[in-house]
Amino acid sequence: MSPELFAALPFLALSVTAVAVMLLIAVRRDHRLIAAITLAGLLLALIATGATAPPAPVTLTPMFQVDGFTSFFLALIIAVCIAVVLLSYTYLNQMDDGGPVEEYYLLLLLATLGAAALLASMHFASFFLGLETLSIALIGLIAYPVKRARAIEAGLKYLVLAGVSSAFLLFGIALIYLDFGTMSFTALGRIWDTNPPHGDIYALAGFAMLLTGIGFKLSLVPFHMWAPDIYEGAPAPVTGYVAVVSKVAVFALLLRYFALIGGYRFPSLLWAISLLAILSMLAGNLLALLQDNIKRIFAYSSIAHFGYVLVALLAGTPIALQAASYYLTAYAVTTIGAFGVITLLSRPGIGHDADRLESYRGLMWSHPWLAGALTVLLLSLAGLPPTMGFVAEIYVIASGVGMQLLLPLAALIAGSVIGLYYYLRILAVLLSPAPSLASPPATPKTSPTGGAMLGVLVILLFALGIYPAPLISAIQHATAGLARSRAIYLAEDNTAVTQSPGMPRSPGYDQ
Amino acid sequence: MNDAFYVASGIAVLSTALAITRANGVHALLYLVISLLAVALVFYTLGAAFAAALEVIVYAGAIIVLMVFLVMMLNLGGAAAARETQWMKPRVWIGPAILGIVLEAEIVSILARGDAGVPSLAVILPRDVGIAMFGPYLLCVELASMLLLAALAGAYRLAYLERAEG
Repeated sequence: MSPELFAALPFLALSVTAVAVMLLIAVRRDHRLIAAITLAGLLLALIATGATAPPAPVTLTPMFQVDGFTSFFLALIIAVCIAVVLLSYTYLNQMDDGGPVEEYYLLLLLATLGAAALLASMHFASFFLGLETLSIALIGLIAYPVKRARAIEAGLKYLVLAGVSSAFLLFGIALIYLDFGTMSFTALGRIWDTNPPHGDIYALAGFAMLLTGIGFKLSLVPFHMWAPDIYEGAPAPVTGYVAVVSKVAVFALLLRYFALIGGYRFPSLLWAISLLAILSMLAGNLLALLQDNIKRIFAYSSIAHFGYVLVALLAGTPIALQAASYYLTAYAVTTIGAFGVITLLSRPGIGHDADRLESYRGLMWSHPWLAGALTVLLLSLAGLPPTMGFVAEIYVIASGVGMQLLLPLAALIAGSVIGLYYYLRILAVLLSPAPSLASPPATPKTSPTGGAMLGVLVILLFALGIYPAPLISAIQHATAGLARSRAIYLAEDNTAVTQSPGMPRSPGYDQ
Repeated sequence: MNDAFYVASGIAVLSTALAITRANGVHALLYLVISLLAVALVFYTLGAAFAAALEVIVYAGAIIVLMVFLVMMLNLGGAAAARETQWMKPRVWIGPAILGIVLEAEIVSILARGDAGVPSLAVILPRDVGIAMFGPYLLCVELASMLLLAALAGAYRLAYLERAEG
């Protein structure tokens, strides 16, 4: 088997599964069978990702490249997708609005394929197509419970905003293409190595538009308005998927793009990103204080978390790349766990999820296991030991301190302190005495697979928080290639580290 | 040839602005058709004759005509006939018609002069497009097919409510 075909195996596994599911739906509608095939296909893709993780980057046409970085994040998103399938099976069974449920798995597979394409993108064309595949499939997933007005509203909002952000991205790409005649990340990096585009208005406008589009996808402040509404309206397993897969894939792409084009040589770009990071950390956490809906709280907390990861992106050292990857992993495990708890507590038949904070009152006494899991997940989100969230936050802070990013770090610490308040507020609600109702609401039947999956996530959260070495060594291996491309700019840059403390250093090309 | 480019792009901008400011969907769509035809002409003057043909066939031809039919047929009922007569007033179609005539005159003048495209630009033939699509862009074409499948599956599910109650 040629190395190209071998490296493409995970992508082929996802595509073949999607086509198989589509054909099977046409022949026979059987929810259990379709879910089992989806699960088998995802497991195959996961195994293929592990087995084919290439020692050296493999190029698949000029558009895609599979390397250690791709494989690491691909394994992460496929694992998250498996968790979402496990959560969704019971959820869809209970939702039972008379509509077909099988297309859900088809959309889930296609969204994962789009995210996988993003992770391997080396070119604006493949980047855009991957992003669109992901977004279009997500619209279908968000609006899947078509009889819920909230879900339809959320789907429509996502459709319009995804369209607007795609328009920004395309315009930015077009401006950069107009100026430099290529859409390949490596070719752009090479052009700018020899001929830095200083004060080039096209490049500047192109960067600003690209950043706007990516800011929408990562829901960074001030492009965050969609996130709370869509998190609230979408069915809980899909919310987990939107919060994790689409954001992690776009962020991984941002890391690769930045390393390949040498984004660190553009002071204006670094300033813009620090501004987005600081605003996201502060506004995300402050707005979360005002919410009474647990899904909206998680939406704002996710906005803040992506502000934290941006600090690692700004630092840009090899350690910072590892910090960002570790943070994204911790975020994925924690967030999918949190939405798992919401899914398990929801009775989808009644038209909305268990998302009001009030409905969590006294959960510790009625559902001790679920409440215990949620407690651990909240501690990890708040960055308290001994969980992955703690290690992740220390990692990011350490990488930021190394590069003297004083202002973003101050915002990070302020944000974490504010964050502690609302995470502990949820905890207080969990622990408060249960309301003594005349007729206590029927407790939903918790699916055993969902419960087991939650158990695995909580164990991972502790295990990788106390003993993170195996994960860190895997991440070191995965980010080594990116760090190498970054090292070139760091070498030029060592003289400039001390200037302008508190903000991103102005790399060698500064006027 | 530069004049042809500027006239066509001017019409494209003008008709798009008119399209997004019309209150009535059908009126907006008429301007949108003109806008897409003007963009096709812009492509043509830039040497991308194949892209121009696709723009006319796919966008102006298939998609927009489908949308016009859809908008006109969705509102069936008692008042529909009266409304349709109102839509046919000259005030409504005169604007798009004038812009369309200008475009038509431009095409005729290009054909009469017998030169296609800006002389300094290379003309992109269907063969070049095919070689690019099934060469470096092969995997992107495959990915686009998956994108369309996702759109189809999503639309099928969203349309389910209508069908169940209709």
